Amino acid sequence: MIQMFHVEKAYPGDPPTLQDINLRVEKGEFVFLTGPSGAGKSTLLKLVFAAELPTGGQVLVGGHNVGRLRASGIPYLRRNVGVVFQDFKLLPHRTVAENVAFTLEVLGAPRREVEEKVERMLKRVGLLHKAGSFPPRLSGGEQQRVVIARALVNEPTILLADEPTGNLDPALTVDIMDLLRDVNIRGTTVLVVTHDHSLLERYRSRVLRLERGRLVYDGMGPP
Amino acid sequence: MRHSPWVHGVAVLTLGLALFAAGLALGAARWVDALAGSLGGEVEMTVYLAEGQGQAQAEGLLAAVRASHPGVEARAVSPAEALQRLGAQLGDLGAALEGLPDNPLDWSVELRLPRPDRSPEALASLASELRALPSVSGVDYGEQAVARLEGLRRALRWGGLLLLLVVAGVTVVVVSATLQLAIYARREEIEIQKLVGATDGFVKAPFLIEGALQGLAGAGLAGVGLWGAERLGAPRAAELAAFLVGPAGLPPLASPWVLLQLALAGLLLGLAGSFVAVGRFLRV
Repeated sequence: MIQMFHVEKAYPGDPPTLQDINLRVEKGEFVFLTGPSGAGKSTLLKLVFAAELPTGGQVLVGGHNVGRLRASGIPYLRRNVGVVFQDFKLLPHRTVAENVAFTLEVLGAPRREVEEKVERMLKRVGLLHKAGSFPPRLSGGEQQRVVIARALVNEPTILLADEPTGNLDPALTVDIMDLLRDVNIRGTTVLVVTHDHSLLERYRSRVLRLERGRLVYDGMGPP
Repeated sequence: MRHSPWVHGVAVLTLGLALFAAGLALGAARWVDALAGSLGGEVEMTVYLAEGQGQAQAEGLLAAVRASHPGVEARAVSPAEALQRLGAQLGDLGAALEGLPDNPLDWSVELRLPRPDRSPEALASLASELRALPSVSGVDYGEQAVARLEGLRRALRWGGLLLLLVVAGVTVVVVSATLQLAIYARREEIEIQKLVGATDGFVKAPFLIEGALQGLAGAGLAGVGLWGAERLGAPRAAELAAFLVGPAGLPPLASPWVLLQLALAGLLLGLAGSFVAVGRFLRV
């Protein structure tokens, strides 16, 4: 599903952000990506949804070589990759339902299909009763669930979550993680960036650890 | 447009004014064309035969001109008829001609030219063709008047083109500047659109539509302005020009054809401005 071969990412004038990354994430896996701040976790995630391109090596997502994709091909790659951001990136002047529908509108889905899928997705994340609310009036956990709903509503094969619980209290963290596990159980490959060690203990899954741009650990459970 | 209605309103007003000015210039050019067309109706060419040439040569020339220029109306004028006309033109002084021992005038041929042959180039070509004939001593068709009229038309044409370029430049700058603001106001939405897999076309289309709508709205304003100008000023202008252009009068300022041209120009210029804006400020 996701493969990296000797991947490097460097910005002009700076030391490499990622160096010689080799990894393989299979379809349906749940993987934590951890490491200290500045280790290159977010950059690695950006390579998967082509927000950044590698300066060396190869990144394959669903069999497509990200580095060789034409600009016109990137949107089609992103339709298969849902992304959850730590800072939510919700549109404050659109309702919860409109924010979730946004993904489907971009794909040109028919109105009825959009309504049905949005309702189903909001029910799944437990926010159907907030469909008409605006994001600034929701709690942090609720906003994060809206983001997850938006990322999943077009049924992507991969879900990337960048510090999805970074701003949440422990109760809401469990709530969001349970939701991500549920998504994974239904067949979606999930890659979660976190520096919260307790999550690695609680949810025993495969863990990738980055330090100074290098992959230093790849195994089950925390290093 | 809902993000900054005032900015878009000012943009539409500016476009309207620019297109109104262009519409007025276009109307003026068409008026001068009508004027030139009516003056052009008087274009005649007189071919003077050389001394000693008679009726047979005049009729031979008539036949040759009719054969080579089928649309030309031609007739031969005898020396006697020419002298009679001259006498009539001189009025009281015409009596002096009666004392002449011989008629000093020669045979001539008058040509009335069809509209396609009235351009300065066609007239000059026909005149030099006729001057080359041994039986012809001279050709007169009011070269200077024709040349001045053509100069005026050319000046208007180039002036109109220059004005059109200025209007086009202003429109493109105004539309792209307002769309830059619109792009800035929607930058979060654009970022999310890109992240969830929107194609370039999907992201750019609303801004192209916005530019096109601005152009159309500006053209609408200009159309209203031209209609108002016609209602207020055209009757007086038509009165002034009636003796020159005849009963057909001046062409209307805001005819459906002019309005259609304005709408098309507004649409194209609005689209051009939005293409510039999305090209410069919306890298997707």
